[in-house]
Amino acid sequence: MQLTVDNLSKNYRGGVQALRNVQLSLKPGVLGLLGPNGAGKSTLMRILATITQASSGRVLWNDQDIARNPDALRGVLGYLPQDFGVYPNLSAIEFLDYLAAVKGIPAAAARRRISELLALVNLADAAKRPLGGYSGGMRQRVGIAQALLNDPQLLIVDEPTAGLDPEERVRIRNLLSELAGERIVILSTHIVSDVEAVATEIAILAHGELLAHGAPEALLSQVAGKIWEVVVSSAELPALREKHLVSSTAHRSDGVHARVVADSAPSATARQLEPSLEDAYLAMLATQRNSAAIAGAAA
Amino acid sequence: MNAPRAIFAIARADFLERVRRYSFLLTLLFAVGLGYAAATGRITLHLGDYRGVYTSAWIGALVAIVTTCFVSLVGFYIVKNAIDRDRQTGVGQILAATPLSKISYALGKFLSNLAVLSSMVVVLAVAAVAMQFFAAEDPHLDTIALLAPFIVIALPAMALIAALALLFETLPLLRGGLGNVAWFFVWAILGIGLPEITGKHWLDPMGLMTVADCMIEGAKANIPGYKDSFSLTIADAPAKIVDTFRWQGVPWTSQMILLRVGWMLAAVVIVLLAALFFDRFHPVSWFLPSVQKTKKVSTPRPAEQLTPGATISASPVPAVHLTPLASAARSDAFGRIFAAELRLALKGLRWWWYCVAAGLLIAQFASPLEISRGPLLGVAWIWPVMVWSAMGSRESRFGTRSLLFSCAKILPRQLVACFLAGLTVAVLVGAGAGVRLLLARSFTGLFAWATGALFLPALALSLGTLSGTGKPFEGLLTAIWYVGPMNHTPGIDFTGAASGSRTISYALIYFVLSAALLVFAFFVRARQLRSL
Repeated sequence: MQLTVDNLSKNYRGGVQALRNVQLSLKPGVLGLLGPNGAGKSTLMRILATITQASSGRVLWNDQDIARNPDALRGVLGYLPQDFGVYPNLSAIEFLDYLAAVKGIPAAAARRRISELLALVNLADAAKRPLGGYSGGMRQRVGIAQALLNDPQLLIVDEPTAGLDPEERVRIRNLLSELAGERIVILSTHIVSDVEAVATEIAILAHGELLAHGAPEALLSQVAGKIWEVVVSSAELPALREKHLVSSTAHRSDGVHARVVADSAPSATARQLEPSLEDAYLAMLATQRNSAAIAGAAA
Repeated sequence: MNAPRAIFAIARADFLERVRRYSFLLTLLFAVGLGYAAATGRITLHLGDYRGVYTSAWIGALVAIVTTCFVSLVGFYIVKNAIDRDRQTGVGQILAATPLSKISYALGKFLSNLAVLSSMVVVLAVAAVAMQFFAAEDPHLDTIALLAPFIVIALPAMALIAALALLFETLPLLRGGLGNVAWFFVWAILGIGLPEITGKHWLDPMGLMTVADCMIEGAKANIPGYKDSFSLTIADAPAKIVDTFRWQGVPWTSQMILLRVGWMLAAVVIVLLAALFFDRFHPVSWFLPSVQKTKKVSTPRPAEQLTPGATISASPVPAVHLTPLASAARSDAFGRIFAAELRLALKGLRWWWYCVAAGLLIAQFASPLEISRGPLLGVAWIWPVMVWSAMGSRESRFGTRSLLFSCAKILPRQLVACFLAGLTVAVLVGAGAGVRLLLARSFTGLFAWATGALFLPALALSLGTLSGTGKPFEGLLTAIWYVGPMNHTPGIDFTGAASGSRTISYALIYFVLSAALLVFAFFVRARQLRSL
């Protein structure tokens, strides 16, 4: 089971380049796809889900080009888009049964699977209510259930935990972790802690370019020894932000505890910390911004 | 809040959102097409065998009447989405939480509707100038005579359409497909036929009688033996005209102008009425049971007191497990997806819908054959209009395209199943007439019946797939149904009852047309699948 993204680019009308020469090779596990807004994450997900075509480059599923033979992938694909709708007159059971029929799952197998999935996403009690009356979080859980209907080998989930309460988020994260053993899961999100919890590999996209791809440990090693905790007063905080990349702050009784990403200690009292994925992600984006600014100035 | 600024901002944003959509280009193309049809004599105004010389006055009046008659019908469907768009995009929820008043909102949307319709009027006014230039029957361009009918006749009519579209959107019953069907009759009876029905020529919202009366007066003065004949016709070839006469135009009196201003004011009153009915994007759907009715009232439980250092006794988040789906548990069985599409098509229909359908079916069996295959089949085949109009457009309407389009074999399975579900509905509701034709061994009639049953879902699927909405089908089917089955127009009557000796040839045309529509729907959907 292998998914290969080979030199993929996507241009939209008006000269907007959403993806530039993206290169990836994925095996079973969870790929956490991180990137700021407009980085091209959703475009990449849509191309991988066969609903948008790339401008150049190829996507190979077990060596088959999915642009030429999309059904080779679609039969084993589970896809949760960032924005999707439901038929408001149908109940969750009816909606999932409809999609099961579209996906070619026989009635008896679909019934068992739907019942299990509804329990899994904690919707068993509301399963017979029309979807029109569901909250945003409940609809999101229906979306997750439909993505898992056909027991997919490739599961693409775009912001799966958006709108979910903390308990549901943990439940879905656990599910993704459990599923990853036997399939490829691609998880796109803004929530770095979700990726940190489940990803076996991480890819960072910015401005359509793949900035990094590797194991979380490799990413963390890039900022090892560069994360510091500095305690400053509220008045000193703006100056600290001007000078360094501050990844987080917390107000305490002795002042503001700022988490700083810097090559060397920002002050004599600075205390070194273990790096987190969020630190590594923010450091990588800051580096990319600086390089772009320097390149822009040189041009 | 500064109300005029808010109204202008609503109108401007809505108008810009519309004109930047591809569909606006189609709207203008429709106007250009109308102008071309008028310029080439496909749409003509004639008084007996006569028409006016193509002077500025005649062309201005002709194109203004074409505008009010046709743009009022089609334009309604074009602009009846101002509130719905805000509902679908979620912008409505944001607006509802602002101090914006319902009246300001309704007036803003009305102005946007009016601006869209007016842009079509402007296109047609330009076409009128070009028409006089190319007709070259009168070299003198009288700008006032040419443009006055557009300003005095067409614009108030457009204001009425803009307001009525808004009113329909605010009334839950008329907001959807029922309103689209109802509009055709409102347009035909209130818009066009009102002066004839009431005998009061001033009761003329579209301004047709205002112009017609003046033209008839002109004809009486110029054409010997003329007998009040006046007709606006559409033909596939230029109409035959014996001679022309010089018409001086409408003598615009203050009474006429005040009457047209009165219709503008009526439009504003309709907008205020729409504001009254507007639900301000209340999220409770009318088809769902009321929360108050279904929820039991329970005694509120006091909130637990938080104690520092308290023992955590919450149970952990339950572990999740999924049984793997056996690889054998996948099939391409078409019957299952067909059944699913049929269930989806019929879901949400109320008991009375089935009662009426069953009543029509029984009546087809019980009535004489000519009644059964004629008016009864005609009514039976308009009854499921809302079932068919969702075909091909349901995925866009409810945002399920990305879920469906990422499934395997969607084109040969789901689209075909969707069509067959629509065909099944057509066959079931019209089965009485079909069986009667079979028993009577009227095989040509049965062939016509079968092609009619094919044509309806094919038309719905192609229009729905192309437009992503059910409105074009609802509007077009109602118009075809009224002209064809209800007025027994051969060729347009898709039931085949009015075709007489040409039943086979018309049925063959419908068969080929249905096949072409299906191929078109496949082509459009295939394109959508490649790039959503």
